[in-house]
Amino acid sequence: MPELRRDPVVGRWVIVDTDHPNKPEDFEYEQNIVKGGLCPFCYGNEFMTPPEISCFRDPNTQANSPGWQVRVVANKFPALQIEGELDRRGLGIYDLSNGIGAHEVLIESPFHNKDIPELLPEEIESYLKMCCVRASDLKKDSRFKYIMVFRNYGSAAGASLEHPHTQLVALPMVPKNALEEIHGARDYFNYRERCIFCDIIRQEIGDKTRVILENKYFISFCPFVSRFPFEIMIMPKQHSGYFCHISAEEVVALAQILKETLAKLKKVFLNLSYNYIIHSAPINGEVDVEYYHWHLEIMPKLTQVAGFEWGTGFYLDPTSPELAAQYLKAV
Amino acid sequence: MPELRKDPIIGRWVIIATERARRPDQFSGHIHDPEEAKACPFCEGKEAKTPSEIYAIRPRNPTRNGPGWDLRVVPSISPFLRVEGDLDRRGNGVYDVMNGVGAHEVVIETNQHIANMADLSEEQITRVLNCYSDRIADLEKDMRLKYVLVFKNYGKGSGGGAIRHTRSQLIATPVNPKRVKEELAGARQYYEYHERCVFCDLIKQELEQKERVILDFDGFVAVSPFAARFPFETWILPKKHGKRLIKIIIGISRLCHA
Repeated sequence: MPELRRDPVVGRWVIVDTDHPNKPEDFEYEQNIVKGGLCPFCYGNEFMTPPEISCFRDPNTQANSPGWQVRVVANKFPALQIEGELDRRGLGIYDLSNGIGAHEVLIESPFHNKDIPELLPEEIESYLKMCCVRASDLKKDSRFKYIMVFRNYGSAAGASLEHPHTQLVALPMVPKNALEEIHGARDYFNYRERCIFCDIIRQEIGDKTRVILENKYFISFCPFVSRFPFEIMIMPKQHSGYFCHISAEEVVALAQILKETLAKLKKVFLNLSYNYIIHSAPINGEVDVEYYHWHLEIMPKLTQVAGFEWGTGFYLDPTSPELAAQYLKAV
Repeated sequence: MPELRKDPIIGRWVIIATERARRPDQFSGHIHDPEEAKACPFCEGKEAKTPSEIYAIRPRNPTRNGPGWDLRVVPSISPFLRVEGDLDRRGNGVYDVMNGVGAHEVVIETNQHIANMADLSEEQITRVLNCYSDRIADLEKDMRLKYVLVFKNYGKGSGGGAIRHTRSQLIATPVNPKRVKEELAGARQYYEYHERCVFCDLIKQELEQKERVILDFDGFVAVSPFAARFPFETWILPKKHGKRLIKIIIGISRLCHA
């Protein structure tokens, strides 16, 4: 019998196929094969990107030249533009504004061929530290109300370049998906006087069936209400609204759990494309972060979202999270 | 300068890349398999390959699951939801669960191996639309069900699968889907403020501004929405205010055909 499961944060129902679940070998997905070639993110090609905004590099090396460990540049084809003020206006029944925002690309490492599982722990820690540095910096701009950190890996997942990279987009309003989580979390907090994410973490640790990995500061698990097969959530055990407030010890723990979780995912699905996003609290607003809890969502690119999902906002998961977690724990 | 535009119904902002517009020829399509027609289970004569029909328009042969039909509705071979059983609503700690009760049907729009609905006659498209209406009315009688979604996945890139025989699906769910709730909530909020329907206002504004109107006749209008999420997203709206899909007049079928 398929099961309908309700996400307690946003109130969304998903349909989980518990009858005839898809096993890993049942998924047909576009394989991500790294071809190499001329790359604007590799050493020696720094002139091909816009000038760097921020960088961790070896001492005695120049900006926009090799010798860096993590490099941040403006996106050459930005979705939004940094200059100007918000110009909100109406057009009859419609609302619009000029597209103000920041759009940065964070090149995670000098290695064209290495995904996060292949990097050293220190290299992943540097990458995460830089995400924090950039998020903290963008937070100072009072025009921005939300920072979206996201990563597309593999062209099937929307990565336009092979060299692994993460993007940061700062928006002048809180986007709908984030707002829904925030309102859902606030309603739960008003009802229970507890953070819903903390309650979810507690339940998952107690239940164990969906937990993949756990360390001192983080837990990775397949959410009870997975929207996609093998969807994974990484959450800090310590309640915190902002990703960029992460402590030094937490960065080490996050690097470890991210590396190991992605390594497991890629062992189950060879040449997988995937996306991940960081949901963090809004900035420069009146949001009380007492009830919001930042987290990272990993979405493997195994299925397509089609008419039913677009029409209803329902998701269909052909592999229950319990089964997915079993496969991930086994490798 | 990219533009931020807000959908007035559900309050979602989209980013419109006004400068880096892509032309139609800059989107890539999908190549299809020329052999797939032989394997098609939806063509006339292949009725044994589908589950037993729920509904059919049979002017030439009244026998169920035989040839001689113009339109046929069958249950889905791999249904997302099942008709049998109880909801059995229960909690699981912070989570809520129920059984996946519902209906999942496939509307086979023509007895021939035609891929695109636009290639059907207006008369045939009218039959399809009236079929949607009839099936919804029938499924409505089941008190466990709260919503019926009619949808079509056309083409390999959109979940249409390899078989290129034009068809659509109906899924009935025991809960109101999120997207629908959002639209209803947004429409109600607008109504409470303006005492007018947001869709009626939208249609009026689009007809005045004209620049996003694609087609307009026989009581229906096809527009590119102001806050489009996707390139070439299109909406078809009845000009007359009505909340349910009722027996359709020839108008919308001409619009689909166009």
